[in-house]
Amino acid sequence: MNNIKLIDDHLFNKGGIEDRLLFDAMLIIDPTLSDQISWQQKTHALVQQYSRKKLKAEIESVHQQLFTRCEHQSFRQRILRIFIK
Amino acid sequence: MTLYKKAFPAVAKYVSKMGGSFDEAKDIFQDVLIIYYEKSVSAEVVVHANEQAYLLGIAKHLWAKKFREGIHQTPLDTNRDDYDFIEQDDTEPSATKLLHYLETAGQKCMEILKAFYYDNLQVNKIAELFGYSGIRSATVQKYKCMEKVREIIKEKSLAYEDFIE
Repeated sequence: MNNIKLIDDHLFNKGGIEDRLLFDAMLIIDPTLSDQISWQQKTHALVQQYSRKKLKAEIESVHQQLFTRCEHQSFRQRILRIFIK
Repeated sequence: MTLYKKAFPAVAKYVSKMGGSFDEAKDIFQDVLIIYYEKSVSAEVVVHANEQAYLLGIAKHLWAKKFREGIHQTPLDTNRDDYDFIEQDDTEPSATKLLHYLETAGQKCMEILKAFYYDNLQVNKIAELFGYSGIRSATVQKYKCMEKVREIIKEKSLAYEDFIE
């Protein structure tokens, strides 16, 4: 579990020079570490993808409300008029 | 919703002026909001002047890029900048499969990781949101989740052969 924090610090460039030197040394000693780094990077990428998907769904729900509900009719008409050529 | 109502009209006008459709304006605007959100939580940008103008600026950038790519269609575009990332989503079919798996099997952990890494929430806020007794147990949970999800990704990726580039 400690490795996870260490790898995060390494990926996000946290910690001072000493920490980085120590990490470099660990990379040499522990041959599985570089593999762990790459899986952790993939995890971060997937967390980001997951989060964006969630956020996009929230935004879409706001859009649907604005473009279907009665109380936003004047806003909707204002926007749609922009696209009438 | 307030931000949507405030900023969408200007983006819609711009996209329409440039010959774009309502759906294109909608797509661009939604990407703009995601970029804006990510920038604001990472404290990379502090918008003090005019939020709407800033959002319109990003929209213009995205529109110009879309237009440029429409003409050139170069898959090896090296001029990538940080506004480009949104299109990279869902490009690998196995990543989509994996994401789907995590959405169902590991949702609680994904929510915790999202709160920590994407929303950049304060640890005490996260502890409160997820019902942990304090900062320490929320932090422990974050690392446990990272370990668990990392393990799932590793296992599943090795199973989906085409995931490895």
